[in-house]
Amino acid sequence: MKITPGGVVAAEWTKFSSLRSTWITTGISALLLIAFGMIASASLSGDNLTSIDLALSGSALAALSVGVLGALLGASEYTTGMIRATLTAVPRRLPVLWSKSLVAGAAAFVTMTIGAFVAFAVGSAVLNDKVAGLGLGDDGVLRALVGAGLYLGLVAVLGVALGMLVRSSAGAIAILAGALLIVPGLAALLPDSISEAITPYLPSNAGSAVMALTPADGTLAPWAGLVVFAGYVIVTLAAAAYRLKRNDA
Amino acid sequence: MIQVRELTKRYGAKTVVDRLSFTAKPGQVTGFLGPNGAGKSTTMRMIVGLDAPTSGDVLVNGKPYASSKAPLREIGVLLEAKAMHPGRTAVSHLLTLARTHGIPRSRVGEVLDLVGLSTVAHKRVGAFSLGMGQRLGIAAALLGDPAVVMLDEPVNGLDPEGVLWVRNLLTGLAAEGRTVMLSSHLMSEVSLIADHLVIIGRGRLLADTTVADFVTAEGVRVVTPAPDALRTTIAGPGITVTSTGVEELLVAGTSARKIGLAAAARGIPLFELTPQNASLEEAFMDLTRDAVEYEASR
Ligand SMILES: Nc1ncnc2c1ncn2[C@@H]1O[C@H](COP(=O)(O)OP(=O)(O)O)[C@@H](O)[C@H]1O
Ligand SMILES: [Mg+2]
Repeated sequence: MKITPGGVVAAEWTKFSSLRSTWITTGISALLLIAFGMIASASLSGDNLTSIDLALSGSALAALSVGVLGALLGASEYTTGMIRATLTAVPRRLPVLWSKSLVAGAAAFVTMTIGAFVAFAVGSAVLNDKVAGLGLGDDGVLRALVGAGLYLGLVAVLGVALGMLVRSSAGAIAILAGALLIVPGLAALLPDSISEAITPYLPSNAGSAVMALTPADGTLAPWAGLVVFAGYVIVTLAAAAYRLKRNDA
Repeated sequence: MIQVRELTKRYGAKTVVDRLSFTAKPGQVTGFLGPNGAGKSTTMRMIVGLDAPTSGDVLVNGKPYASSKAPLREIGVLLEAKAMHPGRTAVSHLLTLARTHGIPRSRVGEVLDLVGLSTVAHKRVGAFSLGMGQRLGIAAALLGDPAVVMLDEPVNGLDPEGVLWVRNLLTGLAAEGRTVMLSSHLMSEVSLIADHLVIIGRGRLLADTTVADFVTAEGVRVVTPAPDALRTTIAGPGITVTSTGVEELLVAGTSARKIGLAAAARGIPLFELTPQNASLEEAFMDLTRDAVEYEASR
């Protein structure tokens, strides 16, 4: 009987899977992804809209939802007092953060990748005739669908890191929503020259680049965008790790 | 074994634990006493590394807690009731802790049995009473079959039967050779089971003693028709004599037996010779009077 990395991951998986709210939030995220994809595929069309764009049009809301899931997982340790029990069992502390991130990220990646494929299948079935259909074999389709899962998995990790960093559910969710939804809107208010330079690098814009069939004007290349987003996640994780290690629980 | 050495904790300008040293030994129940706000919980959090000491250190079984390969085997703690997610069942809560150490599921069932929660094992802990929460916290503390058991105010919220159960459990654990430490702000809660008392006030050590020594320190009440003669007879270093009535003296620093022998040798009659077993509670209150942080306004 001793503490092992696998044991800490198993413990975090038990925490994740033993809460009803986890399953509800995960279900809602998948549902948002699929339902919005279906509705958009059936009804929307436009100059540059591909059937992938339509199928994944729920990804912004799904991102918010998996991000909230991660934030709640992280912050609830503190809001419930569970952190005391957690850290007496794992007094080195950091394995808790890594394991919680791994579990939330992997769970969101798996469910959201499945969700993306389902959204694409359903969306293709109901696609309106103004938009050309695509198959899984077409250029960039697989990358966009798996990329959606990867992006949403990383968003869940970002949520965990924010929750552990600010130790409050409301605070973590506010920062998350601000970073993903509000910051791009604010950037648009800046003078054009500045706005055009920074917009591609804003978290949700960078992360979403991986879901575009071909990069539009003023967006990053797919994998470059995902790497930039991963950078934000890593920086937030590092801050959370620092606070976890340094501050009293 | 818990060794606390010159432990100090400051929150801003306020020193909450002040150069505190004591040792809780195996096979004994150590009662950790002090008025509310004395720094007991803070000390216990530092023992398991939840709060970092400003200075000083703590060894659990001879080493820093965080360096242990199996922390739950070293020490089991109950810090506050309901340090748990209300949405989890009792079993899931214990499993989240057990998994970190690869403790088998069967052990979770065992400790739930031991604390009498088997029938509500699959109920969410959010619906638990304070007493049930305490029992679940104690179950968590025992999960790793630890060498040290440390409980912060464990009888809070328990009914009289529960209090008795905790007492028997803790004396049993100490009898098995484990180190047992429990805190309380009430002497009556620990005097019956503690062998060893560590009393603090405003973060400072006030007494590190045994229950027996703590009471005998109070003094002996003597009633005699010749108080002045007795006074001179028994005077000596470390002995204080206070007049408490026309024929009454309170003598501290010596025993009833010695006073009686000295009086007999001089032919001084004694009407009463009573060791002042002033209640433990009173002795405790006397000791901590100056250190009470939140006093009722009068
Ligand atoms: N995190 C904290 N920040 C500031 N003050 C604190 C903190 N934790 C405890 N204190 C203060 O430290 C003192 C001792 O508290 P505590 O250890 O809980 O005492 P006890 O358990 O003996 O009642 C109290 O005055 C309390 O207000
Ligand atoms: Mg306390």
